[in-house]
Amino acid sequence: MTNLDRRQLLSLGLILFSGSTAVCVAGGQKSGVRRFASAASDRNDQHWVSVLCEENGSVRLLMKLQLPGRGHHVAIHPDGNGFVAIARRPGNWLVIGSPDTGGITSQIRVPDDRHLYGHGVFSKDGSYFYTTESDFNDRENENGLVGVWEVNTSGGEIRLHRVAEFPTFGTGPHELVLMPDGQTLAIANGGMRTHPESEREVLNLDTMLPSLAYLDAASGKLLEQQFLPGDYHQASIRHMDVNAQGMVALGMQFQGEPWQQVPLIATHNRGEAFRLLLADEPVQGQMQQYVGSVRFSVHGHTFMASCPRGNQLTVWDTVSGKLLDSVRSRDGCGVCAVEEGFLFTAGTGKLALYNLGRLSVEELTSDESGLMWDNHLSIV
Amino acid sequence: MQQLTRTIALILMPVMVCAQSTEWTPVNLAITDSHVLPGYARFSEATSALVPAANTLCSQATDTSLQQMKDAFHASMDAWQGIQHIQFGPITYFNWNYRLQFWPDDNGTGGRQLTALLAGQDETQLAPEVFAGQSVGVQGYPALERLLFDADSLQQLQDEPFYCRVVQTVAANLAEMSAGVESRWREEFRTTVANADERGFFESAEDATIDFLKALVEGTRRVQQQKIESVLGEDRAGSRVRLAESWRSDRSIRNIKLNVAAFHAIFEDSVPSLSEVFVPDDVPGILAAFENLEGTLATLPDSMNVALETDQGFQGLQSARDDLDALFETLEAALKNTDLYLGFNSLDGD
Repeated sequence: MTNLDRRQLLSLGLILFSGSTAVCVAGGQKSGVRRFASAASDRNDQHWVSVLCEENGSVRLLMKLQLPGRGHHVAIHPDGNGFVAIARRPGNWLVIGSPDTGGITSQIRVPDDRHLYGHGVFSKDGSYFYTTESDFNDRENENGLVGVWEVNTSGGEIRLHRVAEFPTFGTGPHELVLMPDGQTLAIANGGMRTHPESEREVLNLDTMLPSLAYLDAASGKLLEQQFLPGDYHQASIRHMDVNAQGMVALGMQFQGEPWQQVPLIATHNRGEAFRLLLADEPVQGQMQQYVGSVRFSVHGHTFMASCPRGNQLTVWDTVSGKLLDSVRSRDGCGVCAVEEGFLFTAGTGKLALYNLGRLSVEELTSDESGLMWDNHLSIV
Repeated sequence: MQQLTRTIALILMPVMVCAQSTEWTPVNLAITDSHVLPGYARFSEATSALVPAANTLCSQATDTSLQQMKDAFHASMDAWQGIQHIQFGPITYFNWNYRLQFWPDDNGTGGRQLTALLAGQDETQLAPEVFAGQSVGVQGYPALERLLFDADSLQQLQDEPFYCRVVQTVAANLAEMSAGVESRWREEFRTTVANADERGFFESAEDATIDFLKALVEGTRRVQQQKIESVLGEDRAGSRVRLAESWRSDRSIRNIKLNVAAFHAIFEDSVPSLSEVFVPDDVPGILAAFENLEGTLATLPDSMNVALETDQGFQGLQSARDDLDALFETLEAALKNTDLYLGFNSLDGD
C-alpha cells in the first residue's frame, strides 16, 4: 500500500474551479442545488474523477482530479465529506478525496496479488469500506474477494486501512451494495474469470457461473446465494441496486450469442427465486445484451437500467416487473436517483434528467464539454 | 497553492479545435437518399432474384441451373456487401442482421444445425413463418453458401428433393428479409432520420449522424479485424483461410473490395456527405488513406484462397490490413478535431 504526499498528488493534476464551490458545499447547500460525482475521461486519454453541481437544470464542474488510470464507480462517504474513486478492472488503486475542498487525502493500492473491479461501498455508519477484488493467481477456484477497509475520518480526511478480506463465493465479482439492514452485503458475482496477464479476456466462457451472494458484512458468512437458470449461465450479473424494502434489481451482460433472447434484468427478494424480466421487442433487442448501470428511484417504485451499447435507458416498474418506458441516449450509462426521477450521464459528455412524472428527458446545460462520463454516477 | 493549481489547469486544459458548425439533417438525408436507399434497393432487387433461380434449379438440377443459382447468389452477396456497414435502423429489427448473415460463426453452429435440418426431412419446418423463427444458423447467406458450393452440392440437389426445398426456403427467406429492410427504410426510417431533431428514436440529428459515422469508422475496424486479421496468422503457413467470410464461394477479398467502395461512398459521394463533418484540413489525409487502401486491394485477386497460395498474395493482404488500420487511425484522429463522440462506455464497457 502506498500513501502519496501532497506534492506527488498535485503532480497527478488537480483542477479546482475557483469561486465555484460556495453554493455547493455540504451543509451550506442551497435547496435545489445538488452535487454529483463521476469518473470521466478526456480525448487525450487522461482520466479524472469530477464533482459537479447542478442547479435549475444547469451543471457546473466544481473540481476534477486526475486519476492514475480509468476509474469506474465513485463511492461517497455517508457524511458526504469524502469519496473514494475505484480503479476499473483490472486496476489496483483507490483515490480518496473530498468533494468540498477538492482536497486529496491519499492514493492507496490493493496488495500486489489482488485487483479491483471498479466498485466499493461504505458501511452505514461510514466506519468500513468494502471493495470487490480478485485473488487472480488462483486460477482454479472461485477467486472473488471482498476487501475490508477500516475508515478513519479524524482530522476531516478519510483514510483507509485494510483489515480483512473474505470470499464472495464466486468468480469475477463486480458491484456490491449494502442491504437496508446495514449488516448484509449483496454481491454480484459476474462469473467471468480474467487475469491481468491476458488483460480483459474472458477465460471461462463455457463454465462461467454468475450468482447473487448475500454475506454478513462483519464475518463474511454466506447467508444466501442465488444462481441463474442453466440456460442463462453466460449472463454475467454485474450491476445492482437495492431499495428500502430490500428488493435487489440486477443488470446482466450476456456473453453468448448476440441474437439470443435472454433476460438482462432481474429482481430478487431474500428467500425467493430470481424474477427474470424481458422487455417487449424491439426494446429487448435494442438493449444489445448489455446493461451498464442499475438504480432505483428515490421512492423505490421504479428503477432505471442503462444500456450504453444499445443507446437506451430503460425504466421498470418494481411491483409488476414491466417495462414502463425506454428512451434513447447515445452511450448513456451513469444513472442516479433524484427527486424528479433520474439524472444520467453519457460517454458523449451529455448530462440529462429523466423526469419520472412526465416520462420525458430534459437536457441539462453544462460548462464542461471536454469530459466523457464513465459508467457510473453518484449523488454526493 | 491556488496559483499552482491554476498553472496546472492551464497546462492540462484540453485544446479543442472544433469543426465548423455542421447542419446534421442535410448530411443525414443526403446519405440516406443517395447511399442507403439505393443500396438497399439494389440489395432487395438482387436478393429477390434468388427465388426464381432456386425454383428453376429445383425443377431440374443441372450444371447450368446450379451455375445460374450461384450467379444469383453472387449478385445478391455483392449487393449485401455494399450495404452491410449500415448496422442501425431496420436491419436491427426482427434479428434481420443476424438472420441474413450469422458470421463469424466461431462454434460452427450453422453447419451443425443445417445438417440436422436436412436430416430431419420435416417439411413443416420450412413453412415461411416457422423457418423465420428457426435458429439464425440455418438462415441467410452462410446456409445458402453451404448448400450451393459444397463439392457434392449438385449430387445432393439431384438426389434429395428435400435438400432443394431447403435451398428454396433459404432463398425465399433472404428475399423476404431484404424486401423488409428496404421497405422499412424507404417508408418509415427515412422519416425518422428526417425528424431526428425531435427526440424520439434519435436524441438529435447529430445522434443520427453519429450512426452514419459509426458505419464508416467501426466498419473499417470490423473489416480489418474480422475479415483479414482473423485469417492471417504469423506467416502464410499459419493462415486459416476457412475463417474467411466467403471461402466456400471463393469471394472473400471481393467482399472487402465492395465494403471499402461503400466506405468511400458514404464518406464522399453524397452532397453533402460525411466528409463535411470533418475539419476541411483533415479531409485530404482521409482521402489519401482511401487511395492507399484501394491501390493495395486492386493488386489482389477476388479470391482469398488464391491470394493465400503465394507469399506475394499474403503480403498484399498484410498491406490491406495495415492500410485499413491507417484509415481507421486517420478517421479517429480527425474525429478528435470535431465535437463528435462515437461512444466510450459502449466500446469496452464493464
